[in-house]
Amino acid sequence: MNRRDLLIGGGLAALGTLVPATARAAAAAAAAAAKPDWTLGVTDILEDIAPRSLRRIHGRAPDLGGTLYRNGPARFRRGDSASGHWFDGDGLIRAWQVRGNEARLAARFVDTPKRRLEEKLGRIVQPGFGTLEQPGAIVGSSDDTNAANTHVIKAGNRLLALWEAGSATALDPASLETQGQVTFRDDLKHMPFLAHPRIEPDGRIWNIGSGGAAVYVWRLSKDGMFEAGEAVKLPMASYIHDFTATARHLVILCQPWIAGAMKLPFSKSLTWQPELGSKVLVLDKDDLSKRRVYDLPPLSFFHLGDAWEEKDGTIRFDGCFHKDVTFAVEGAPGLVEGRYVHAERPELNLVALHPDGRATLTPAGITAEFPRSAPELAGLPRSATVHVGGYTGDRPFARSVGSWDWTSGRHDSFDFGARHLVEEFVPAGPHHLIGTTLNLDARATELHLFDARRISDGPVTSWRSDVALPVSFHGSWVSA
Amino acid sequence: MKALYLATTLALATAGSGIAWAQNAAAATTPAPDASLTVTFEQIEMPEGQILLSLYDNEAAHDAGGKPVRAAMAKVEGKTVSVVFEGLAPGRYAIKAFHDVDGDGKMKTNPFGMPLEPFAFSNNAKPVGGPARWEAASFDVPVGASETRIAIQ
Repeated sequence: MNRRDLLIGGGLAALGTLVPATARAAAAAAAAAAKPDWTLGVTDILEDIAPRSLRRIHGRAPDLGGTLYRNGPARFRRGDSASGHWFDGDGLIRAWQVRGNEARLAARFVDTPKRRLEEKLGRIVQPGFGTLEQPGAIVGSSDDTNAANTHVIKAGNRLLALWEAGSATALDPASLETQGQVTFRDDLKHMPFLAHPRIEPDGRIWNIGSGGAAVYVWRLSKDGMFEAGEAVKLPMASYIHDFTATARHLVILCQPWIAGAMKLPFSKSLTWQPELGSKVLVLDKDDLSKRRVYDLPPLSFFHLGDAWEEKDGTIRFDGCFHKDVTFAVEGAPGLVEGRYVHAERPELNLVALHPDGRATLTPAGITAEFPRSAPELAGLPRSATVHVGGYTGDRPFARSVGSWDWTSGRHDSFDFGARHLVEEFVPAGPHHLIGTTLNLDARATELHLFDARRISDGPVTSWRSDVALPVSFHGSWVSA
Repeated sequence: MKALYLATTLALATAGSGIAWAQNAAAATTPAPDASLTVTFEQIEMPEGQILLSLYDNEAAHDAGGKPVRAAMAKVEGKTVSVVFEGLAPGRYAIKAFHDVDGDGKMKTNPFGMPLEPFAFSNNAKPVGGPARWEAASFDVPVGASETRIAIQ
């Protein structure tokens, strides 16, 4: 029995065609009726969201203008077929535009080969991170399965919708129209390009692409043009979703979730081997052959904060660490099925790589995910880490936004409560944070602006849309 | 999700080095010669270079990257080109082909080994993270003359 079977009608459909269609429909309807309300966070968006005004429901906005671009999966089901994992839905780019008190929303799906094929067939067929391929699948390269659903950045005059196992996809920042998958150089077509590039304060973009025991290191100009690239060997063939960087170094944390022989879906290729511990590869940006490796205990993670380097050479960065991969292999697939099978417990830690070769961990003592910090300080010493948190264990997704200060140990946070699914917040200019929540009572996604120095006071301004968008992953604030 | 999709597509790419093709072609002799097969490639997008193809007569060799029973090369000058295999034993066959657009005798790949030149399989079978399988790509070659057509894009 595969996951797709499990998805349909809560397991009854494992009997397949032996169950009459009417009985299957009744079972599916019963399962839908019984679904907890947080499943609004993994709902399907059937069409692009035409531009519309938002209703200001709280406060008055400061003098701030710009657009919060966000990306996340927003189509998981077609007919009786479904994605087998939260990470495999089609990417929907949302543009939350703010000008003083006025705010607007528009959203468009990234027009990928995967989405085109599945629209044509009316079924989910392409394999993914945790989705099995189905009859009709076409996988000539990993870009045929590219969901373009993880992050969106602005580089030069275009947006790049990012995934991790294949190309970036370019979009027009005004219309959100897809321009196509990006080939930075002819011989680099289809190369993996992670969803978490590290962008220096002057705009230069560093990224890696993971290929088992090696990564390809990308260097792009601030306009998103190819500058240099090189393959680098890793200490072990770790699954890599994110890496980090200081002003002078790339820092690649290798977790003991190890890629073996290729299997579909991809997550079946990975095995959790905690006995290997974790390793941190540090590369000199100016000479990638200059490398150091540090040892850490076994850690499971998706996201790291920006790194910095101190005068004595100590490198520090934060990470949101799970104790194992249960969320990735059981929790996240369960979300699409409407099952909360595993409590997320990402714990905020500060990693220090010392000049004497030791690596140490300092826990903050809070749960946190989606760590972000001021883009003008990327790679430079800082103390504040913006994050979401409040993972309580009674339902999935975050419920609070906060800022943790590593110097003072102060935690400034605001709890939206159990009725909001809280998405990533990012700095918007030097003094504000901006982000979205899905309000389960209003059944609508909201946009919130905070004073970054007084988060616990609650939002300075909140706007409400007239649509419930599924919970998204990552995004970027682009000042007007 | 990682670039490991390419581990399997890589097998397709490496099956096409120029030396291997030449050796296979020279060594190819088959008894019971009473069938001929014309393979016509169509929908070729770039009228240059050459198409390299290998013909398999069993599932094990086809699916596990073993030796083809025949191999051939066809110069590309237009949208279609044909190759004729004479003296085949009647039976079941499958074809893997790629369009060596730059004419260097090798499948062009990116640094992680993913193929970057057009490739195709008999029955126009679709790849699923690697070359099409025998089950999808194999077809009957009867006694006498027969033809199969493959779109290569």
